[in-house]
This record gives sequence, structure tokens and C-alpha cells, in this order.
Amino acid sequence: MTIPTTIDLPVPSFRSGTELVPTRDQPQTGKDFTSDQEVRWCPGCGDYAVLKAVQGFLPDLGLRRENIVFVSGIGCSSRFPYYLDTYGMHSIHGRAPAIATGLATAREDLSVWVVTGDGDALSIGGNHLIHALRRNVNITILLFNNRIYGLTKGQYSPTSEVGKVTKSTPMGSLDHPFNPVSLALGAEGTFVARTIDSDRKHLTSVLAAAAAHRGTSLVEIYQNCPIFNDGAFDAIKDNDTKHDAIIPLVHGEQIRFGAPGEDGLGTKAVVRDEHGVRVVEAADVDPAQILVHDEKAEDPELAFSLSRLTSAGYLHQTPIGIFRNVDRPTYDDQARAQVADAVAKVQGSPEERLAALIGAGDTWTVESTRHQDDPESGGSR
Amino acid sequence: MTYLIASSCLDVKDRACVDECPVDCIYEGKRMLYIHPDECVDCGACEPVCPVEAIFYEDDVPTDDADFTRINAEFFTTIGSPGGASGTNVADHDHPDIARRPAIQGASA
Repeated sequence: MTIPTTIDLPVPSFRSGTELVPTRDQPQTGKDFTSDQEVRWCPGCGDYAVLKAVQGFLPDLGLRRENIVFVSGIGCSSRFPYYLDTYGMHSIHGRAPAIATGLATAREDLSVWVVTGDGDALSIGGNHLIHALRRNVNITILLFNNRIYGLTKGQYSPTSEVGKVTKSTPMGSLDHPFNPVSLALGAEGTFVARTIDSDRKHLTSVLAAAAAHRGTSLVEIYQNCPIFNDGAFDAIKDNDTKHDAIIPLVHGEQIRFGAPGEDGLGTKAVVRDEHGVRVVEAADVDPAQILVHDEKAEDPELAFSLSRLTSAGYLHQTPIGIFRNVDRPTYDDQARAQVADAVAKVQGSPEERLAALIGAGDTWTVESTRHQDDPESGGSR
Repeated sequence: MTYLIASSCLDVKDRACVDECPVDCIYEGKRMLYIHPDECVDCGACEPVCPVEAIFYEDDVPTDDADFTRINAEFFTTIGSPGGASGTNVADHDHPDIARRPAIQGASA
């Protein structure tokens, strides 16, 4: 019997997320990434804004269109691949991360993206999501969170708030919702961010950072469903309230928000608490106490504490930006290295190797102990 | 592609579309509203709420209003792309082709 051992795996050098993907040979525009398919979402859907932002961003990524793949699951957002003139797959409910894992592992020359929603990723696909995150496969996951099931016409989702009245929860939802950022951090995610559908500038900057990250990047996108959950994100979109609702996270900068004070910065701030972090009036604390955001912190504790500042019920306060962005070897790089290593060590012809494998020892012979006269042995039944 | 606002908006400016637009890309001129062609995400939320049916998808503009694709786009040549109308002031002018049009008597939503 061989006793299992643990070996140190070689650590690959860290590269950008798209380093092995061929770059474009001619200029591109958003039109090059627009397919001839008629876009079919409801009027006013936040998905249009995300689509437009992605179509505007992809030319900046500078990769060949034929080396970009968008894989989706099932849901409104999962119609995304039809509208992009890249390769794409409208795949199985909740399984887009699994398909993307295979693709990213087999083809290092592809930029692999997953488009999913709060239902697809967090209900039926919950397992696939967390395992992609812990494996750190080099893919970018765009999780459209509208906090409702839109495609099936308005049932509560895993991110709907407690007490939410929907067609499937006429007396109010009893389920405690997921906070997708907290979940991703708990699943050992190496790149975790949150952005908003209607803020194209911020969305684009997060997409760029997510694509540059080598490993699984999770981008939660707050996306309004104007038909079944309209107004879910009004607090962070309304000009009168958004200063107090959005806590912007910028690496290396103090976390300040709220209406600008005399110093031009927000009048509210985030400071360390005995457990986690808390929001205070900036004027009430020593400026040196105000937390400086560090997305590169190895320990996800700070990022997790920040993620807990998101309101659990109706969204009236939430951090927006990159919570965590750290390097860790990726599953696909290491899997390819193992295969290459094993192939390099191969000796002999295929026939010789097969014979060697069969005769490798650790074999045994199954001998019959059955006696026809012995009814206890089962006889010849 | 983009949606755009055509002649029926002239001297009306109901603004129902402004409230409806999820990306805040409808800007106010002196006599009419204009859709920013680069900021519009083609979602179509504005079109059904317009009380005078002034909003069209680029492919569906009536022949008489064919100029308005250009007019909407050109209105922004000096403004650029502010990334949202609510943070900007109401323009005190219109596209020159609009400014020179005679006032529409009794125009209202």
C-alpha cells in the first residue's frame, strides 16, 4: 500500500490574465464585438448597459476576437454570448464555471469569460462557483445580480432580501440572502470586485483589472431589473442618496464617502473596529485611524470585513470597487505544467509503455471460493 | 446603433424619457431633448413613455425626420461625453438646425 504524500508543486511565475492570448493584428471598435442578433431583453434592463460597456471595453483588451470566449448558464443575463461577436456558449444551468474551467485548462490561448446571474451562479450553480474560485482557474466571472429571478417572471432569488414579497413568497421570503462578495472571499477567491451596471466608467475599470488578473476573477455587477425588481438599487443610483450609499474602495486610499466635506473628501469614513470595521463621521476620528484600502492584503480578513458593510435588506449602503486582488498559482497553469512534465519523462514506444503499465505490479488475482455444495456461498444463482 | 429624439419633441420637452433612462443619457437643450449616441445602451426604455412619440430606434426614423440622427449626434460635439446628464446643466442652446426652426405654437405634451 502506498502512503499518500504531499509534494511541493513548482510555483509558476505570475503573469497577466491574458498574457498567453494572441493579440489583435488590426484595430478594433465596439462594432467588431457586436453580433447581428437582435438584443432581446426588456426595455430599460441593466443588461443593455453591461453589454454596451463590455463591447466598448473589449477593443481595449486588444485580443483577437477568435481567442475570446463567453460562456453563460441560464437566465436573462445568460443571453449575453449571442450579442457579442466572439466565440460563446449558452450552456447548462449553473454549469458555466465548469465548462469554462475545462476550456481554460485545455486552451491557454483563450480569454475565457463567464456570464451568470444571482440565480444561475448562487442557486443551482453554487457549487461550481465556489470550486472555480478555490481552484483559481484563469477565468473572469461576471455575476449579474438583480436580486430576483427575471427570466421566470419574478420569484425570489438567493440574493433577495428577507421578507421580500414575490410570486413564490407571497408572505415574504424567509431565506437569508447571500452576499456574493462575502461568499467569493470565503471560497478563497483571489480577485473579488463589485460594480454597478449604469456606471460605465467604473464598470470598465473593474473589467480591465479583472481581465489582467491571472486566476478566477469574480465581478459582481448590481443590475436593475425594471420589470420584476425595479428600484432595488435606487439608493446607489439616485443623485440625492448615492454619496451616502456608495463606499468607494480604491487601493492605497483612505476609505471615505458621503457628501464631500471641507477637505473635498467624504464626511464619513471607515475605521477598524474591535471586530471588523465600522462607519464613523470622519470629523469624529483621528485621520490616521481611517482605514487605507489594501486590495493586495494576503489575509482576506479585511476584504471580508468590508464586504459586511453591505446592507442585508434593502440596499442603502454598499462598498463598490475591488475588495481583493492577490496572486496565487492558477489551476490551469499548474495542470498544463504537470501534463508537460509527465510527457517529457516518457520513455519507450507506446507498446512498451502499455506493457510496462500492465506489468507494473500492485496486481492481484481473484480466486473463486465458491463451492457448488455450499448454499451459504450463493451457489450458482 | 442608438435611439434618438426627433421633431415631435420640439418645444415640448415632456422629460418622461429622462426619468426612464437607466443610464442618464438624455440631455436637455433649450427647445428639445437629445440622446447621446455613445452613452445610449439601446435598451428602449424611453421610447414607449414619450407622450408625443418623438423617440425612434436609429433604423426606424421616419423619412421626414432623417436629419435627427445627425442632429442628436452633433449636439454633443462640443459637450463630449459627460457620462450622465444629471450632473450637467441644461444647455442654453440647441443644435443650429433646431435653433433656426420657427416656434411650434401650442406644442405641449
